[in-house]
Amino acid sequence: MAVIRDMIPAFELFQPTSADGAIELLIRYGEDGWVLGGGMDSFDWWKERIKRPTAVVDLANVDELKGVRVTADGVEIGAMTTLTEIATHPELLANYGVLTDAASHIATPQIRNRGTIAGNLVQDTRCWYYRGGWPCYRAGGNTCYASAPTAMNREHAIMGTSRCVAVSPSDSASALIVLDAQFVIQSARGDRVVDAEDFFMRPSVDIERMTVLKPGELLTAIRIPSTWAGATFYYEKVEDRKSWDFALMSVASAMRISGGVIQDLRMAANGAAPFPVRLEDSEAILRGQSPSDQLGLQAGEAAVRNAQPLRHNDYKIPLMRNLVRRAVRGTEV
Amino acid sequence: MELWRSAANPWGQEVLIGISWDLMWVALVGGLAFVVAHAVWAKWLAPHSSAATGGGAAIAGLPAKIMRHATSERVFHWIMSAAMLVLLITAFAPVMGLQFAWVTIHWVAGLVLTATILYHIVHATFWQDFWAMWVNGKDIKAGLAELNHMVGRNGTEVPKAAKYPIDHKLFHHGAAVSGLTAIVTGIFMMLRLETPFWAANPYLLSDSAWGVMYVVHGVAGVALISLVIAHIYFAIRPDKWWITKSMIFGYITPEKYAENFDRSLWVIPGVAPQEEESVPAGVGASEIGSESTGGGPASEVGGQD
Amino acid sequence: MALIGQDISPPDLRAKITGRAKYAEDFRADGMVFAKLLASPMPHCRVIRIDASAALAMEGVVGILTADEVPQSEGGEQCLTNHPLYEGEAILAVAAVSETIAADAIERIRVDFEPLPFILNPLDGVRPGSPDGRPEGNTQVARDWVSIKWTEEDFANAPEGSMPMPEGEGKFDTEWMVGDVAAGFAEADLILDETIVHQSVTHHPMEPRSAMAYWQNGKLYIHTSTQSLVRTQQALANQLDLELDDVVMIGEFCGGGFGSKISGSIIQQVPALFSRKINRPVMLRITRAEENYLGRARPGMQARVRIGFRADGRITAIDLAALGDGGPYARGDQNGGANTASLTYTPPNMRFRGLGVRTNTPPKAAQRGPGGAQIIGMLEPLMDKAARELGLDRLGLRRLNAPDANVAYGPNGSTLTSVFVKEAIDKGRDLFEWDERIARSGQMNGSKRTGIGVGVSPFAAGSRGFDGLLVIRTDGKLQVQQGLGNLGTHSIADTARAAADVLGLEWDDVEVVWGDTSRHLPWSSVQAGSQTTHAHTRANHAAGLDAKEKLQSIAAMDLGGRPEDYETSAGRVYRRSNPSQGMTLSRAATRAIELGGRYSGYELNEDLNAMTTASATALAGQGLVAAARDNFGGEGGLQSWVVGFAEVELDTETGKVDVVHYTAITDCGVVVHPRNLGAQIYGGSFQGMGIAMSQKWVFDPVWGVSFAKRLYTARPPGILDVPMDVQWAAVEIPDPQSPVGAKGIGEPCVGAGSAALTSAIADALEGKCLCRTPLTADVLLAEIEGRVPAYGPLDLHV
Repeated sequence: MAVIRDMIPAFELFQPTSADGAIELLIRYGEDGWVLGGGMDSFDWWKERIKRPTAVVDLANVDELKGVRVTADGVEIGAMTTLTEIATHPELLANYGVLTDAASHIATPQIRNRGTIAGNLVQDTRCWYYRGGWPCYRAGGNTCYASAPTAMNREHAIMGTSRCVAVSPSDSASALIVLDAQFVIQSARGDRVVDAEDFFMRPSVDIERMTVLKPGELLTAIRIPSTWAGATFYYEKVEDRKSWDFALMSVASAMRISGGVIQDLRMAANGAAPFPVRLEDSEAILRGQSPSDQLGLQAGEAAVRNAQPLRHNDYKIPLMRNLVRRAVRGTEV
Repeated sequence: MELWRSAANPWGQEVLIGISWDLMWVALVGGLAFVVAHAVWAKWLAPHSSAATGGGAAIAGLPAKIMRHATSERVFHWIMSAAMLVLLITAFAPVMGLQFAWVTIHWVAGLVLTATILYHIVHATFWQDFWAMWVNGKDIKAGLAELNHMVGRNGTEVPKAAKYPIDHKLFHHGAAVSGLTAIVTGIFMMLRLETPFWAANPYLLSDSAWGVMYVVHGVAGVALISLVIAHIYFAIRPDKWWITKSMIFGYITPEKYAENFDRSLWVIPGVAPQEEESVPAGVGASEIGSESTGGGPASEVGGQD
Repeated sequence: MALIGQDISPPDLRAKITGRAKYAEDFRADGMVFAKLLASPMPHCRVIRIDASAALAMEGVVGILTADEVPQSEGGEQCLTNHPLYEGEAILAVAAVSETIAADAIERIRVDFEPLPFILNPLDGVRPGSPDGRPEGNTQVARDWVSIKWTEEDFANAPEGSMPMPEGEGKFDTEWMVGDVAAGFAEADLILDETIVHQSVTHHPMEPRSAMAYWQNGKLYIHTSTQSLVRTQQALANQLDLELDDVVMIGEFCGGGFGSKISGSIIQQVPALFSRKINRPVMLRITRAEENYLGRARPGMQARVRIGFRADGRITAIDLAALGDGGPYARGDQNGGANTASLTYTPPNMRFRGLGVRTNTPPKAAQRGPGGAQIIGMLEPLMDKAARELGLDRLGLRRLNAPDANVAYGPNGSTLTSVFVKEAIDKGRDLFEWDERIARSGQMNGSKRTGIGVGVSPFAAGSRGFDGLLVIRTDGKLQVQQGLGNLGTHSIADTARAAADVLGLEWDDVEVVWGDTSRHLPWSSVQAGSQTTHAHTRANHAAGLDAKEKLQSIAAMDLGGRPEDYETSAGRVYRRSNPSQGMTLSRAATRAIELGGRYSGYELNEDLNAMTTASATALAGQGLVAAARDNFGGEGGLQSWVVGFAEVELDTETGKVDVVHYTAITDCGVVVHPRNLGAQIYGGSFQGMGIAMSQKWVFDPVWGVSFAKRLYTARPPGILDVPMDVQWAAVEIPDPQSPVGAKGIGEPCVGAGSAALTSAIADALEGKCLCRTPLTADVLLAEIEGRVPAYGPLDLHV
């Protein structure tokens, strides 16, 4: 069949008012269903006419999924909270600055006004081969076009690959990982809670999905414990332009520093792998040490130790190394 | 039901991607259905056989243990089976919904399988009786006789078998063809991996060539599902357990030898091949059983290699 | 006070800001249907078979238009084709009662293709044994198709990483020499030999080129998105073999074109022909993805240049060889670029050899400063390199090599009416505080290194000989008929001021008529080449003088004295010596109608273009009609200049560039509308910065298909990418050969912005010219870290 783009195929729109209702619809429609958050990822797929759900479950009216709530032990953010709301929320700004930093670097202000935190976390990768509808592994096929010797892969992964070399596009993921966040997933069988780090799918396990969400499941809330409230945070995103773009590389860190020593820390990077990478080797070097540029460099080297560049993305190695270094140095962009 | 999956390549041309997973279910269900059917048939519908001729004269002159599979052959068989099972599980469990990092295990097991098969081909060709596994005229006659017997035409004589009765041989051929097909296509697929020895390059072959490769690999794979299900079924059937034991311990008893095998066809060293009268079938000579060849001058008393 | 030189809101602003402005895709007509295009999935192929039966059987599908039903072009571009030469080329169109159905119908059409070999970038297209982008060959020499290939030896002789510069016949399609380059190099104290590439980039105007057409009584009515107006009407009429009178084109607002919609008439043929075929109005909405394909692009280049310098920085010779990415239908910009280089650096000896290779990539068209913007962005960092090596002031080196008014440049010794680039450089040195900033060059601010850059950028800026047409109405208003397109430069309003100034009117008394060819518009220039400001201030000035003469004549007739005794201003024509003796323009208009003849448009000058004559005749009797041709003449061509200065900070740890400050100084003659001039300078400069820093094409080389086909992947600059600290100034010396003295501005600013950045970034890299665009973080960081370069030195479309 001939190909045409930029004309969204027809679908039936459902606008439930509860998460249960939404899940019921998703179960009913199975593969033909689709969850609509802010639409920033969905519209692109639909406009390309590559993904064609017949039933779209729009969460815009599910109020229980919206808002930032201060809880007894931290904060809970509803899945449908917009990125703008997160980036400007006083409690988050005061105590969880790495998240507001990350959120305020996502896309553009207009997109942040519509885009949701859950959408930012569960969105599909932006490998342009995959997004072009090419029949690659992630699309159910049996090849990866982006890792071919002549492929255009400047934005692809330098680690964690397993046949697929796309990168996770979520800017908020690494921030939530360093906050030890947990994600609440609701299904017909009730809730399950997954650590942020474990939420993102490894291509070696399931190459067709970016997250652990199963059909019929909905990410409903993000729980941030107070563990890292008020810690020393760092977030930096390097993108081609100053807005709109997905990260070439980003780094987030949370550190508890007292007596000039890093008592404990978390560090994560995105743009390096098909999932956000927790930098445990770097953490190990830094834990219990006094931060210094030299140490930062060591931590950076550790982060990229096993990196394997593709033809056009070798620059991501020094970039990742330098961002880790800067996180230790505390240099803001 | 679909047989294969296809997709549009970047130029909008339709290319094969692989088999439809419906075939996997067909193979699984088919294999299990065969097992159930056979079990039912064997328990209630199979014609009875008369008591085995055994003891005394039949086993005179036979050693206490008849070597069927040498140690090297058994080791090969079990490593190969382990690899095969790992391959099947890593191939199909994820499709059925069990999620784990399967790719590396799959091709590592594939390489193990390849190594064992290469060993086996060389070993069987030069160190064992190469022709023992090939189907000949006698086998076909025996097979037909067995079929007649199964459908109840009594009175037909089923000759005793050589070391491998026809059903063993047919299974071996089926598994060998499927296995070799999966291996060869699988080795090609290794070229899609990024390794220190070569760069992943999907363009070594055309889209359509890869598509055929994947479909063939898939067909071989699902065929092996059915074959392996049936094979394991027969291996654990109580009435076949003596054959299975020979693949573990290496030998069968002289009674079983006398009951089931034609001494002139499966010659034991040191035992004079005698004319055997044919025995009414149904004593378990039909078998889909063990894979390794054996017999000939290399099979021995006592079990050393 | 004269209107020229003031800031005045243009008449279309309110409509645009409130959303009431109607663009082509906003129009509806009774029974209108929607058309959608079926595009080629392959970079080069032949259509073997089309089976549209399933589509035509769909409810709501009204018809199909195929390639054999459109004007055929031997070797040129057709609106629909059965031999696509690039991924995305339109093959057929389907119409349906709704766009959704039309899109679904496209998918039901089965087209069988025969894939053919393809070429993506020019250098690959000249390798021995390589395929040609077209069946006829890979370029044209004069009008003949040829297949120019270089030899293995040519490639082997090129130093590692350099573009070959083969000598001998038949290696290029264009060659010229001025002076003696060998001698020039012989006297040089420094010779640079560099290989440079420049990306092809899509125009991506904000408004896609939708069009809606219908027929009534044999006349074609078409709503379009086009930069020009009357010239587009003419182009379309020619292509469809129609009389000008039988085409009514409405294009009041155009959301940008940057050169891709100078006429943009080819795709307009689709709704025009389709609506005639099915006898219903047809709306063809073009999408953003389609803009990436049929919306044109600036041709990239792969070039090698040798430049010889004397110890004092004077260039002694330039030897430039350039391959242009011509797309399937064009030649590329390298010829124009060479001329720009010749003008900007005035080498006494220069050789240029160019080869425009046809490639299977989207079609190329002029893009704001075609050739010039590329060459300046490419060569300015080399001027810096020479200055560094010779120990000279980089700005001083520019000035030394810049032209004066008596310049003769290019292969034919072209001359100009005015050149004030040295004045612009001097003014810039001051305003940008060059001497203070240059002292900061290379300084570290944390991990960020400062770079200072400059780009001297000329571009064509005027033409002559068009017509002005005015009506002084009985209500006293001056109605200025403009045949111009409203592409966003506001030339429709700005050039009308020339007429008002002749008559001494306030802007409130001026009404501009534009955007609809049925409203009797004069023969005009295309809105391209930055010519409109110059051409139509002149044309309106001429018409203004004609109106003034008629006013003076009527006044003298009625009030006595001689016409020369009378003056016009403030809505009256009055005796200079006794201002109370006079009449209002309103009265004069009534008198003109009474007098008829030449006063009200019944008798017209013979040298008017036929279009103007017809328009004036149609307006006859409505008031005092003035119609005159720009006969002011002139010798030499027109070029405007923008000198762009930039200070950047390059983060050596991330490769990111921050543009800290930008100053632009222009020589564009008299400034007609200061705020608008600033907008043009900034808009063009920022566009140039985007070309230098982020915007690109990306093609997969195996499949020949494009990835950077949406705004988020093509990476044009956003508002946050451009510097906040900006200033501009103009030299403001009138062009001596125009009564108004204004030159155009739209284009030279692009090269200025681009080159200011390529120059500044090279400076921040301690003088290293990476000689490619765009200079993205990956390219810069790889260089800083001394790692494997992100791309090969001659890679294009990456």
